[in-house]
Amino acid sequence: MDIVFIANLVVAGIVEGSLIALAALAMTLVFGVARFPNAATGDFMAFGAYAALMAYATAGLPIWLAAAIAIAATALLALVSYRFVFSKLLNRSPVANLLASIGVALIIRSALSWYFGSAQRTFSFPLVRSMNLGGIRIHPTDLAVVGVALAAMLVVFTLLYVTPLGRRMRAVADNPLLARASGIRSAYVMVALWLIAGGVSALAGVLLGVKAIVTPEMGFDVLLHIFTATVLGGIGNPLGAVVGGLVIGIAQELASPIVGASYKLAVGFVVLVALLLVRPQGLFGGAEVTR
Amino acid sequence: MDAYLIALASFGLIYLLLVVGLNLQYGFAGLTNFGVVGFYALGAYTSAILATRGVPVPLALAGAMLVAMVPAFLLGLLSLRLRDDYLAVVTLGFAELVKLVVTNEAWLTRGPHGIPDIPPLVDAALSPDLRPAVELGVLLLVNAVALYAIWRIVRSPFGRAIFAIREDETAVTALGKDPLGFKIKAFMIGAALAGLAGGLQAHHLSYISPEQFLPILTFYVWIAVLIGGVGTLSGTVVGTAILILLLEGSRFLRDLIPGVSETDLASARLMIVGLAIVVVTIHRPEGIMGRTAK
Amino acid sequence: MVHLSRRRFAASIASLAASTAFLPRFAGAQAPEFRIGALCPITGAGAQYGAGMQRAIQFAANQVNAAGGAAGRQLRVFTEDDQTQPEAGVLAAKKLIEVNQVQAVVGTWASGVTLAVIPMAVRANVLAMNVSGAPDISALHNDGMSWRFHPTNAEFGKAFAAVCAKQGYKRPALMGFNNAFGLGLTGGFQAAWEKGGGTIAGRVIYEPRRPSYRGEVQEILRAKPDVIVMGSYLADTTLIMREAFQEGYEGRWIMPGWSANDQLVAALGPQATEGVISMDTIPNEGSGAFKSFDDEYKRAMNVSGASNVFAAMSYDMVISLALALEAAGPSASPREIGQKMRLVANPDGTKVYGFAEGKDALKRGKINYEGASGALDFDEFGDVKGNFLMSVIEKGRLVRKDVVAG
Repeated sequence: MDIVFIANLVVAGIVEGSLIALAALAMTLVFGVARFPNAATGDFMAFGAYAALMAYATAGLPIWLAAAIAIAATALLALVSYRFVFSKLLNRSPVANLLASIGVALIIRSALSWYFGSAQRTFSFPLVRSMNLGGIRIHPTDLAVVGVALAAMLVVFTLLYVTPLGRRMRAVADNPLLARASGIRSAYVMVALWLIAGGVSALAGVLLGVKAIVTPEMGFDVLLHIFTATVLGGIGNPLGAVVGGLVIGIAQELASPIVGASYKLAVGFVVLVALLLVRPQGLFGGAEVTR
Repeated sequence: MDAYLIALASFGLIYLLLVVGLNLQYGFAGLTNFGVVGFYALGAYTSAILATRGVPVPLALAGAMLVAMVPAFLLGLLSLRLRDDYLAVVTLGFAELVKLVVTNEAWLTRGPHGIPDIPPLVDAALSPDLRPAVELGVLLLVNAVALYAIWRIVRSPFGRAIFAIREDETAVTALGKDPLGFKIKAFMIGAALAGLAGGLQAHHLSYISPEQFLPILTFYVWIAVLIGGVGTLSGTVVGTAILILLLEGSRFLRDLIPGVSETDLASARLMIVGLAIVVVTIHRPEGIMGRTAK
Repeated sequence: MVHLSRRRFAASIASLAASTAFLPRFAGAQAPEFRIGALCPITGAGAQYGAGMQRAIQFAANQVNAAGGAAGRQLRVFTEDDQTQPEAGVLAAKKLIEVNQVQAVVGTWASGVTLAVIPMAVRANVLAMNVSGAPDISALHNDGMSWRFHPTNAEFGKAFAAVCAKQGYKRPALMGFNNAFGLGLTGGFQAAWEKGGGTIAGRVIYEPRRPSYRGEVQEILRAKPDVIVMGSYLADTTLIMREAFQEGYEGRWIMPGWSANDQLVAALGPQATEGVISMDTIPNEGSGAFKSFDDEYKRAMNVSGASNVFAAMSYDMVISLALALEAAGPSASPREIGQKMRLVANPDGTKVYGFAEGKDALKRGKINYEGASGALDFDEFGDVKGNFLMSVIEKGRLVRKDVVAG
């Protein structure tokens, strides 16, 4: 087991991990403010990927514009799902919301598979070889994927920690009752939240679609990893979600020479259970009282 | 037609056990178990492995229940420390782990090849024309016993205690009862029922493979619990019946409306299930047989 | 048997009474229609292929009907989705058999579904036809009631090994999808290769539906293979080949035809796919059978029929079934029809390439239907036997190269 091989595994882990991290960021925002794990995150991703594909392959727009359109379209979709579903469940248990989000997920997926069929689609970029840095191979697409994901995270963090909107969102996340008492209009925060969650999910979906392939199930297939990353990082903690995603991506690849290509998929779960035994609130989760 | 109805009823009765098990866990003890399919798979594989090695079917089924209870005990312990939503994710991961194990431990489970020739639920010597009906009878009996047992548990001091936990955990603790022990027991009994359902399914189908145990099954069971009514026994029966109607009824839709392709229908089925979940959670929070709003 | 059919007759009266509202029937003295259940994977792992299979079954039946039906009976197709799942498949098959009263259930794809459906179909005296690869299925194929239109997984692997040996490869590495097909193919390859005195450079069994296979690809490339043998499907092949190309792999690939097709070239471009060896059952591309399948398939699905070999097999199921029905006569039971399968498909008869042609030739004696998916000759287990076609992708096009004995 040479160091170059391990370094390559770490690179592979970072690329997959940053995709998971971006999606987990979208999930944890909803988790923090609206207080439930949004199972439709994966299908928002798939929706975004198809939207971008339509704009890119069918309408012939440049990829950055296609991605922007996808972000806008999915943000709108997320808002619609809030308006017609989640806004009606604000005072209900997380489980009721989780189940409703599964319903929303199935509706989106069925619409995608009805309209586009189940055949795979691709953003056919011309293939190029990776750069070889002393045996460590870095691929331009992967570099772009990680770069865009990091940039998007930065934007979201700026939004959260610098702008007044972000302060309000974090206030609602910390203590909804107190936030309301101090005059924060939660409806406004909720609209912003769903727009951001939809947009971030869409971007994660576009990146995943560019790196892999586009199918109606593409988001659902990575959903469990996104869930795991979110919980690992501590629910509602944006930084935690990002770290959680990267930890899972890297741990999974590093474990694969030892446990094989199948059981590496369980590594995230094992890490999660081990962590929860020590820290039931997740990596960065505060010692929050159960609701 | 009658043979199809028998098959449908058998399918529904196996689901009913899953629904009853989850309703005990969530409806009565508030446990968010999203790993139903994992316990179901464990039961199916345990019973199939035992029975194909010569263990009599009833004993194999008992083994299925026991094996399913082991992870339930461990997850139950963990669940005491976790919030509901954390537990949901952990159990979801548990079900994936079970699927990975049955796919990859081929020495025991034959891996993706699956286990064929599982002995039937009733005497193999029975005429093939009679067998489905007799099997249906066995399933009815098993369900009746299970429902009665759960009914007794719910009525017992133990049952009232778990019910109380759901309403107010601190109050129960103050009364000197041990809600944690109750929660673990509820988790284990529910898992045993799921394991039993898996075992019955294995003997009923005669063939199992890892592909059968997808997470969507867990969601279906949740839908049945929700639609029927959380925390009610009559609701489990109604919820299961409606679930089967949603899943199987769409097959007849196409016979009625010509020109619908199978691909469209598959999308439509998924759409209907999705809409049903959303509509019920919003408009009928207590389910159809649930107590009307508090 | 008489008893059984009387029971079924009674059951059919009962169900017809319930279903006449939506089942138009033929009037008068005409022979009753022959009902076929098209049970295909519309959703689940087989979804890439199922819709095309079902369309192929439907247009094959239309062709038979346009030629005046088989033994005077019109074919009627009832469709169902087996969801690539044994549980759902069994219920769907039960519905087809009991409610729609079909006499044949054709088109099961996943081995798990086929293994669960065959015993049930045979018990109900219904023919079953599949495209599954698991060896276990042969044991169920012994009494002329069930037929396999696809070579077994192990045979696929054996043919792959023969090609690799002939091409002079020394260091094959295996990548298999973690299911019965991927394991069977790579296992069959390894057994044949090692029997020939070779050694395997590396082997990775990978999980489906991953966003990336880079780790797996790295592990395989560490073995420095000169050819990578794939027991794979299109989606995973797309990712694996793309990542291997990015990693700088220069060696060859050999894979089944449903992975190495137009869609793969469309996804990866001609450069990365140059030299890929594609193995398929022999489609009779020059013959009438493939052409009439392909024309209809293009019309129905907007892509070449060569991209879905399972659809070609499904098409052949209906044509050969109709020919067997023609040979057995209008009042034949499914069992009697099954007994005619070899008579219309195996060698020694006049070669025919379509239903109308076969129907005509049957008047003069034995026929040998050469299908769209292959020569279609069945062995004693009811498994299709035949040769494999080796093609190579050159400048983005599949070019036929060689025929390998199966």
